[in-house]
Amino acid sequence: MNIRAYKPLLPMIMVYGILITIGLTVEGMWQPVAYFMFYIALGQAFNIFLGLTGYVDFGYVAFLGLGAYGMGIAIQNFAHLGSISILIGIFLAIVMSVLLSLAVGAVALRLRGAYFAIATIGVNEGFRYLVEGVRLWGGTEGMILSGFMRKTFGRETTNLLSTFISDVLIILIGFCAAIVTISILNKKMGYALLALREDEDAAKVMGINVTKYKIMAFIASAGFAGLIGATAWTLKLTYIFPEDVFNIHYTVEAIVIVMLGGAGTLLGPMIGGLIYGLMKYYLSITFPGLQLLILAPILIAIVVAFPEGLVGYLRKKARDTRLSEYLR
Amino acid sequence: MVLLKLEKVTKRFGGLVAVDSVDLEIEEGEALGIVGPNGSGKTTIYNLISGVYIPDEGRIIFDGKDITRMPPHARTSLGLARTFQIPRPFGSATVRENVAIGAMFGKASMDVEDALKGADEYLKLIGIYNLRNKEAKLLTPLEKRFMELARALAMKPKILLLDEVMAGMHPSDIEKIIETLQKIRKEEHVAVVSMVEHLMHAITKFAERVVVMHQGKKLIEGETAKVLNDPRVIEVYLGKKVV
Repeated sequence: MNIRAYKPLLPMIMVYGILITIGLTVEGMWQPVAYFMFYIALGQAFNIFLGLTGYVDFGYVAFLGLGAYGMGIAIQNFAHLGSISILIGIFLAIVMSVLLSLAVGAVALRLRGAYFAIATIGVNEGFRYLVEGVRLWGGTEGMILSGFMRKTFGRETTNLLSTFISDVLIILIGFCAAIVTISILNKKMGYALLALREDEDAAKVMGINVTKYKIMAFIASAGFAGLIGATAWTLKLTYIFPEDVFNIHYTVEAIVIVMLGGAGTLLGPMIGGLIYGLMKYYLSITFPGLQLLILAPILIAIVVAFPEGLVGYLRKKARDTRLSEYLR
Repeated sequence: MVLLKLEKVTKRFGGLVAVDSVDLEIEEGEALGIVGPNGSGKTTIYNLISGVYIPDEGRIIFDGKDITRMPPHARTSLGLARTFQIPRPFGSATVRENVAIGAMFGKASMDVEDALKGADEYLKLIGIYNLRNKEAKLLTPLEKRFMELARALAMKPKILLLDEVMAGMHPSDIEKIIETLQKIRKEEHVAVVSMVEHLMHAITKFAERVVVMHQGKKLIEGETAKVLNDPRVIEVYLGKKVV
């Protein structure tokens, strides 16, 4: 293994270190930091698919939703196993989101561009109406888990789970997604995805099995999404409602984060997630109710000024300098 | 030994028969030229060989294997490589990365580090080493063509299909490219097929054998000088004598 190729992880670890230190030492800062970390993790997970393949999945939030339900089902049905139920929940979250990604991938990944995007919107909306319509997993009434959790883990642990442990898990998930991203970038798979993103037909003729690599990226991205849903929603909020977890709003946020930071880069989702999270959080405090109205033009301005994202722009500027080793 | 064989291959697009029952044999290490006017079916033949299209009729045999319905990437790993008439670089990757992608996924099948090192050799061979860190989309059309040639060579193919690769090049560059191709043919026994519309002097210097295409059919094939002076070929290009 070539250690030098993993240098770009250093600035990432630094940012994580600073954020975590602020969260732990400054009074009242843990929740805002956790809020940013959710967006970073969301961007990092989505980037593995959107950023690396260039395919826009408008139904991405369905994977988070299924992950959330996976954890919910485990907490409801394996309460007698105590804290092991959380491990089962994590396992279920991954399995359910990966199975969905295989099913969607087998059909929708045959489509390209806007057609793929439209087909995937249908997946998310379809899932939501399925859950509500056939009253699956509680239907529109959702799953209220706080009672179960208090009985299983005790009041103290449940509070700790929702106010601290779930946040730590989110940080870990985001970081793992980043490690997966850089190892893909450094391997043949990264070059295969680069080629297919640029010109899929030429990539095929160059010997690249594009279907294989697209599905691999899709599965990895979906698995991380499932984990985010299970932790950031089920464990943290202790309830699940279909209209909340199958909400296309999160897909759009994830797209914005990836584009803002730089699609297909390692550091992009972190920068994008941080900027998006910071602005959304503080704008909603200073201008309550108007945050999106102010946020939207700022985001448009950034994307117009840096079409390749902030990290994409910096990489270009730093080419042929020593800094470029740390930017990816 | 016959490396690539097309048996009665036909491809139709709606009512248009782009390639009409064509038989073609290419020997190992051969230098073959395919010439023909615009619309004669040359590029379609390349697309059939590389797997972009599947023929409506006929079979394609490569290195003893039936590849008629094989997906493009599988054919490439057997030892096919091609360039495109309008170059198709992976734009946001550097020139070096483009060539390395060829080395990774072609028959060479190298790992990342070897491929990047190997790419440098081919860049030097083709004479574009100075462009290696440039984004491929910033190259001129001509530079892109040099890059595609380097990328195809880096794949270490058994057969190299060149699509108008020498069009628009300076005569001294053409000479250099032909020299390089002849060297690779002799040393690595690679069959090189070069397809041209008008660049006859390059073909006469390069090809041992020429196939002339006309309206989707093979008009004539044989020794280069003889074929290009055949009255039928002149007619295809210039029309019948009227005076």
